[in-house]
Amino acid sequence: MSDELEILQRALQREKAARKQAEQILEGKSRELYELAQQLKNVNAKLEEGLNEKASELQGVFENLVDAYVLMDISGNIIKMNDAANDLFGYNISEEQLNVVRLIYEDDYQYAMSSFQKLVTQGSFTNYQARVTTKHKGIRTVHINASLIFNKKNKPIAAQGIVRDITEELKQKRIFEEQKKQLSAIVENSSLGIALTQFGKIIQTNKALQNLLGFTQDELMHKEVKAISHKEELEESEENMQKMNDGEIDTFSINKKYIKKDGTIFWAKTNVAAVRNEDGSIKYQVALIEDITEQLKFEKQREVLVKNLENSNKELNDYAHIVSHDLKSPLRSMNALLTWLKEDYVEVLDENAQSSLDLLLKKVDKMDLLINGILRYSSIDKINQPQQKVILQDVVSDIIDVIHIPQHITIEIITELPNVKGDKFRLQQLFQNLLNNAVKYNDKKKGIVTISCKEKEEFWEFAIADNGPGISEKYYDKIFQIFQTLDDKNESTGVGLSIVKKIIDVYEGKIWLKSKEREGTTFYFTLKKQVV
Amino acid sequence: MGLTFLLIEDDEIERLKFARVLQKNKYNHTLLEAENGEKALEYLESNKELPDLIFLDLNMPKMNGLEFLKILKSNPALRYTPVVILSTSNNYNDLKESYEIGIAGYIVKPLKYEEYAHKIKCLIEYWSINELIKR
Repeated sequence: MSDELEILQRALQREKAARKQAEQILEGKSRELYELAQQLKNVNAKLEEGLNEKASELQGVFENLVDAYVLMDISGNIIKMNDAANDLFGYNISEEQLNVVRLIYEDDYQYAMSSFQKLVTQGSFTNYQARVTTKHKGIRTVHINASLIFNKKNKPIAAQGIVRDITEELKQKRIFEEQKKQLSAIVENSSLGIALTQFGKIIQTNKALQNLLGFTQDELMHKEVKAISHKEELEESEENMQKMNDGEIDTFSINKKYIKKDGTIFWAKTNVAAVRNEDGSIKYQVALIEDITEQLKFEKQREVLVKNLENSNKELNDYAHIVSHDLKSPLRSMNALLTWLKEDYVEVLDENAQSSLDLLLKKVDKMDLLINGILRYSSIDKINQPQQKVILQDVVSDIIDVIHIPQHITIEIITELPNVKGDKFRLQQLFQNLLNNAVKYNDKKKGIVTISCKEKEEFWEFAIADNGPGISEKYYDKIFQIFQTLDDKNESTGVGLSIVKKIIDVYEGKIWLKSKEREGTTFYFTLKKQVV
Repeated sequence: MGLTFLLIEDDEIERLKFARVLQKNKYNHTLLEAENGEKALEYLESNKELPDLIFLDLNMPKMNGLEFLKILKSNPALRYTPVVILSTSNNYNDLKESYEIGIAGYIVKPLKYEEYAHKIKCLIEYWSINELIKR
């Protein structure tokens, strides 16, 4: 029994020990478990925190997306739209149901369906571009990237799309393209040669320049400007380029020679303008090249012609002067000899011979008058007095005081005469000749001469009217020719009106007349206004 | 006391006219005549008696009046003889140049002989009462 007891006791002992051990293990495990649970709790908290963070991040992205964001279920019913989408499409899905089909623009329906098919089969599409019908903004063109959203079992449950309104962008692009086209049409069709250069090299040319130089566009590309320029103007060009690079000038113009492909040369007026970067450095230069070879030729020809004209004018004037003096000399002799004949042979000559000698003397006088006329006529454009302010009112009043006016004739200035700019002597001659004629040929008992002036836009129009004998219409042109006179008396030389005409020509004016035979004549003339 | 005039004039009738004025007015003056500038210089440089007054035409063949005048005025022996121009024109340039070189008068020859005669008469009477350098 004791053995049994002992065995029992030992067994009890062992059991106790084992229990103790188990308790110890349990306690350890419990502790581990607690710690694990604690850790798990921490991790969970962290995860939750992370998830919240992500969710709010997403929410933020979603809300702040500039582009429209649309989330829809697999049948196209829109579940969610951000502000931009609301704004674009104009629908509020919390108030009304909206299916994307409703947004599709009729003509683009086919394309939309095929894109949707692609989305379903391939999971996404990009760069979809089509028109949509919006509630308030009419038809807009949009760009869409879309993708499917899957659940855990890899089953598509929704689709999302990012939509960008590119209507304005496209419009701007079209305008830009249009402008670009217009610009290139101008450049291409310009008769001026145009080149774009950079660092002395050609980077673009137009047709006109290619034609001028005889090179093709490709041949000209990256050619140095120097290579097509004559070296004579190189220095001047480079000076200007330097100034342009230094920012002193933005444009310059130079006449220079260019060398064509065939080696020949042409003169061109070249305008160069700088196109600058923001920092002021030169991006490139635009050169406009105008062939002036012909122009220069004409200018040269014109110069020669003008020179010739000047010479022959001077010769003509000198000629008139010399000839008149040479002609006058024999007249003086004739006058002297005739006078002597009359004096010395007064006893011998009968009345008939005396009157013949008198007639001869008169003819000599007339000849002298004519020659004086030539002199005056030819010296009109010779006297080049400086342009000055001329008070016509005073000039004409002075003339009226100076010329011989018989008792029965009155001259009256009926409108105030303007101040003009010109040569006082010439203007005086102009009025004096006309007034002289009006007075001299007046055949009425009470002669009336009036002077008036009207202001026109570019001219002053003067009228000098008389109540004299009038002029037959057939002589209207003739009277302005030199040495043409309608006078039967011997006093007129036919120079006066031709001088008048010449002076009016100088002032770019016109002269004409209205007349009724036996009743009177009005001479009208215009003088170009000059700034006084 | 009579004066001595030198008339330099290429035109024969002009010379006759001048002579006639002297003669008609019964002036007691001596008239020397030269057909042109060269002949006048030839005479003046030949050390004969110098004229008191020179009447000079401007338009003459070969040496013209102004050329003659320049030579005369650059000659120290001759430059004190007064020169009166008898010209056909009152051309501004002729007048200006003449006075620049140095003249004592400038007469434009009129067309009519009567007027001419009158002018020359006045001219001679004026010079008759002038003091002149005698050599």
